[in-house]
Amino acid sequence: MKFAYFPGCKIPFELEEYGLSFEAIMEKLSVQLITLPFNCCGYPSRSKSLEISVLSSIRNLALAEKQGLDLITPCKCCFGQFKHAIYWWNSHKSLRVKINDILKTEGLSWSGETKVLHLLSFLYHDLGLAALKTLITRPFSNEKIVVQYGCHALRPFSITGFDDPFAPKIFEALVNIAGLQTIEWSKSTECCGNPIYATNRKLSLKILESKLKSASDSGAAYIINACTHCQIQYNVMDVEQELKKIHIIPILFTQILGMAMGLTRKELGINDPHVFDFYYNQLA
Amino acid sequence: MFQTALFIAIGLSLIGFLYQFFFFIKGNRTFKGKKWIPRGLNIKTFFLNTIFQIKLFNAGKLRWLIHFLVASGFLYLLIFHALDDVTSFYWFQSYLPTIDPFQFLRNLAGFFVLAGCLGFLFRRLFFFKTLKKRKIHLKGLFSILLILMVLLSGFLLEAVKIISEPVFIEMKEEYSDIEEDTDLENLKIYWKKNYNVVFNEALLYTPEKLALGKNLNESFCLDCHSPIKSAFISNTIARTLKKTGTWLNHHRADNYVYYAHYFLCLLILICLPFSRLFHIFLIPVASLEKNLKKEQLVPGSNQDQFPDQYQDQYPSPGYINMATLHACTNCGFCSDVCSVFPNFLITKNIHTLPHSKIDAFKRLFHPGQFDSETLYQLQSGNGDCTYCHKCTDICPSGIDLQNLWTLLNEKLALKGFQDNYTFIKSLSLKQWAKLEPEKEKIASTQAKTTQLADNVASFENCIQCTICTNVCPVVEHDITGNDYTPQQVMNLLRLGKKHMATGTSMVWNCLTCYTCQECCPQGIKVADIMIELRNNGNLRADAIKLEKMTNKKA
Repeated sequence: MKFAYFPGCKIPFELEEYGLSFEAIMEKLSVQLITLPFNCCGYPSRSKSLEISVLSSIRNLALAEKQGLDLITPCKCCFGQFKHAIYWWNSHKSLRVKINDILKTEGLSWSGETKVLHLLSFLYHDLGLAALKTLITRPFSNEKIVVQYGCHALRPFSITGFDDPFAPKIFEALVNIAGLQTIEWSKSTECCGNPIYATNRKLSLKILESKLKSASDSGAAYIINACTHCQIQYNVMDVEQELKKIHIIPILFTQILGMAMGLTRKELGINDPHVFDFYYNQLA
Repeated sequence: MFQTALFIAIGLSLIGFLYQFFFFIKGNRTFKGKKWIPRGLNIKTFFLNTIFQIKLFNAGKLRWLIHFLVASGFLYLLIFHALDDVTSFYWFQSYLPTIDPFQFLRNLAGFFVLAGCLGFLFRRLFFFKTLKKRKIHLKGLFSILLILMVLLSGFLLEAVKIISEPVFIEMKEEYSDIEEDTDLENLKIYWKKNYNVVFNEALLYTPEKLALGKNLNESFCLDCHSPIKSAFISNTIARTLKKTGTWLNHHRADNYVYYAHYFLCLLILICLPFSRLFHIFLIPVASLEKNLKKEQLVPGSNQDQFPDQYQDQYPSPGYINMATLHACTNCGFCSDVCSVFPNFLITKNIHTLPHSKIDAFKRLFHPGQFDSETLYQLQSGNGDCTYCHKCTDICPSGIDLQNLWTLLNEKLALKGFQDNYTFIKSLSLKQWAKLEPEKEKIASTQAKTTQLADNVASFENCIQCTICTNVCPVVEHDITGNDYTPQQVMNLLRLGKKHMATGTSMVWNCLTCYTCQECCPQGIKVADIMIELRNNGNLRADAIKLEKMTNKKA
């Protein structure tokens, strides 16, 4: 399989380990990733102008289509933005005409065929749990784990089509594959607070704090993320004095999966030796 | 006279260097109250980038080639040719400018520089036109033309010397003991044929005379004069000049061209600190300094360093190195990879793109260079940056660009140019709703939106059941600052108070998590309406800010 890999803006600098581990597991799954000269997905410009955000997305899709590839991203905000852009592009004719005109000046065009996949939906729907299970060589023993679903992929279902927005199950199923059981967490599908971090930090941190506390109350020790922005938001814990007291570790899903697949820490970009003190299942 | 001129030029150049140095030092302290974060030195990149321009090589191979042709050729000419009194004569026992391999190498180096300069010019004249975002900078063009002039005058000088009869006579007087006219004639014949000298008198040549001339040449000239063919460019020029040779020789053109060549070289020396050529010194400085790491930029790690009102902004390293800022050569690689290039395609705001932002940033340190409108554009363009680090990664000068954008945001905020969020927050809701920007201003920035807030059908079904409010995480956690809940915003729309709705903090604090929209029993696109109201709020704020500025001017 071959995909155009869309890392988004934050992975190359702020969350390098996500990119590394994503590429590592994709290599293990023998999925070929092609890097194209993509621009921003348009998500940050969404509150500024619909036109900009839709053009940004469609331009990326046009670049992928030129290579005849579908697009895969590990970021849920990028994924959601692509889905939104496709929706608005389809439903607003005048917008579509304007964007097509702009793309034409660059020698690009988009027919509307390119598919956008998120890492999780790819693993669950396209690859399948059974195929994934055969690659798990070192399943973990049970740990206290909750998953963070990430709003932009989950809602609105009519546009993203990711999973049941009220009782999602994809993420848990994929985490279970690695041998881990998840704890019920009431705030699993709630926002992490990252979208307003730059503009209203206090509120953003308050939302994060409440999430962390409720996860802690549920008995969790780890939060698993499969979204760039969620992980960045949870990483803020390291520097905020108040949040340091809560003992919860945010972990990237790709790193967990990679470890269970037998990849090394270095390949997965895990630099902190203490971040992963999971026990492996002895049967493995 | 030449020596005096040289000393004056060196003096002027030194003054220029000192001026720039103190300007940079002064600029370095501009961000008051901030600490300098030690970044560490990048020795390897420093050497590789200074000598081989490794970063340019990674960015673009063809452009590296063109640049390296000029750089290597120019360096050779500077060291082995221009400074030969103190270099080549010492290093090589046999050195003379007119013998091989030096004669050939000089032409080859000149050819490199010539090819490179033509490459530079070609790109500017033909390639820039296809990219609307680039404009030709006179500063860059001036430097290229200056080098080109020095180079051409050098070639011309060699050519004029080749054909010069007076120079031939002088050399004969000095280095040979030929006294008989026939001998001289034979030598002249030989030199006319083989060295392209143009003589005033008509010389008849026969094979015998040529053979005799050859003997004379071997005994007196050959030790210091390699065959002229190795000066492959100058020789070609000399041959085309032959027709006007007599006239040129009569007026001693070689002297004039020598003056031109010499003084153009001095001009380069003088212009060095103030032209684009200064990048030769600034880029090593910029590449010596390591780029800031992610860990150093983590918000909160340096909170004490900037005042309260910017706590909410991006974290700041708090220090600007002017030498690094000025190392930019306007090469434009950053804008080619910029993540928010589509923003530029829609807004047509050139200050969205890094190459324009850094240019503007430089000029910010010279007061009075900007009107408010440009500053407003700069704020708006810089606000689009997603901090993806692509520009910093590609920058051939090794400038930590992303860090500059953070600083630019702060510098503009200090000057009173805030983002729309801060602007709206500084007003009360009533004040905001009352403000009425001119319709033309709004119209000029009017963009297509999702068209939900103006369409009654999209919100009229709201039954004010408060489900959206109950599920909203912003409402849950923001007890103090929130004046309106989602359901109340819907109600504002039903009351026809759209302008007021665009200023509510609910709209601006919305996480866009879409929980409200998913839960709404009436199927109202609550979150989409929130985003659209924010779009409208941005347009309105832009128009009001612009209007304020134009009023101030009037």
